[in-house]
Amino acid sequence: MTAKRNRQDEQRRAVITGLGVIAPTGIGADAYWKATKEGVSALGPVTREGCGDLPLAVAGEVHGFDPSTLVEERFLVQTDRFSHFAMAAADMALSDAALDAAGAGEFAIGVVTAAGSGGGEFGQRELQQLWGRGPRFVGPYQSIAWFYAASTGQISIRGGFKGPCGVVAGDEAGGLDAFAHAARSIRGGTDAMVLGATEAPLAPYSIVCQLGYPELSTVRDPQQAYLPFTDRACGFVPAEGGAMFVAEEETAARERGVAARAVIAGHAATFTGSGDWAASREGLAHAIRGALDEAGLAPEEVDVVFADALGVPAADHAEALALADVLGRHAARVPVTAPKTGTGRAYCGASALDSACAVLSMEHGVVPPTPNVTDMTDGLDLVTGHARQADLRTALVLSRGLLGSNSALVLRHGADARP
Amino acid sequence: MHTELTYAELASLMERRAGVIVNPADLELQSDTPFADFGLDSLGLLGIVGALENEHGATIPADADACRTPRELLDVVNDVLKARA
Repeated sequence: MTAKRNRQDEQRRAVITGLGVIAPTGIGADAYWKATKEGVSALGPVTREGCGDLPLAVAGEVHGFDPSTLVEERFLVQTDRFSHFAMAAADMALSDAALDAAGAGEFAIGVVTAAGSGGGEFGQRELQQLWGRGPRFVGPYQSIAWFYAASTGQISIRGGFKGPCGVVAGDEAGGLDAFAHAARSIRGGTDAMVLGATEAPLAPYSIVCQLGYPELSTVRDPQQAYLPFTDRACGFVPAEGGAMFVAEEETAARERGVAARAVIAGHAATFTGSGDWAASREGLAHAIRGALDEAGLAPEEVDVVFADALGVPAADHAEALALADVLGRHAARVPVTAPKTGTGRAYCGASALDSACAVLSMEHGVVPPTPNVTDMTDGLDLVTGHARQADLRTALVLSRGLLGSNSALVLRHGADARP
Repeated sequence: MHTELTYAELASLMERRAGVIVNPADLELQSDTPFADFGLDSLGLLGIVGALENEHGATIPADADACRTPRELLDVVNDVLKARA
């Protein structure tokens, strides 16, 4: 144990110095946090163009987002809404961290994002040109805009970030895996990483792709459509938005005089395949153990859990059992929350948004509630109704993808950064 | 249908197809300045050549998207359009 600690001490460690949030409950970390701690739900009817006649009735849409005021025309024309979100959120995170390529050096900063839905609105428009008018009418930006890698590429080009760049295609859990990827790049010598995930899956083509998921909720009442851990659980509500972050090598951040908002302490991922939520119990438990091991923390040191909370009874049950498997009796005592019942799940963006929420919760000493959920069945201390005050040093964020990825991320309070 | 590509039309295409906003008069004055200096990348130029083909119903030589400057592009495209006229 001593040897392990010493090795960790010598390692370059990643801390979070910037946050950027674009959520159905608020644009910007301040607006999002204010709504989240009050338990505001933004679930509502799907109003995006062309989506009115689809069986999906309720979603978490981002309203009031005007990309033309946030991103230059050149980048807007070339990219989908999911990348508009990513570029705008990355700007917020970089501004929060007071970081840019001019100051840090162009090779000192890399970019990693996760995506699972891609640029559906852009892609659909070009595919309609293809089948409606012919291949000569498809614009060349189709070759980049609708692919998962688009946001990483555009953030890199726009900011002049020439450090290691990558894209995690890890299902919804990819939003957490992006933290691990960024922390690894920082351990390997990069000063800073722009990381996170945003999604915009509320376009007709994208929604039709999701209608095949048996886990998708098609309930029409926004207050009843997404109720994980209850006996009325009926699936999940999709959403758009997400969060971007700046992670930096701890010493580099300190030397710049920038405070660590949180420490990326541990992460692990497993894969248990699709269609068998019971199997995710073992996979998620293994991921939680791995993340705690990497963080050098005991299970009882977890102060708050941000649950995956899929809203499918078998999946919710498996998640509660996985927590009990690893945390033991602490699983019944530790506050568990799922603020995403007020935003919906923006696929990879959902776990990135939960991570932003975890940072804000630790900073404020407040566990936000799980909107719309009043009763629960799985023996967890799920925070419902009102936010709860608590001294939070360690947050555990969980995420599972619909196709079998399970990830756990351990974040620690910024004060845990080494002096 | 125009039989000639003008700097005004090219500026409009640059804005619509690639999001690059440039004053037509400036484009003409700086017609030997590389497209890259206006912020137009190779994909953007490819999209403009494709749009010109669609709008004029003409086949533009494959090397048009290798033109480096506005003047080079106008020369290549207008040769095609004049030959058809």
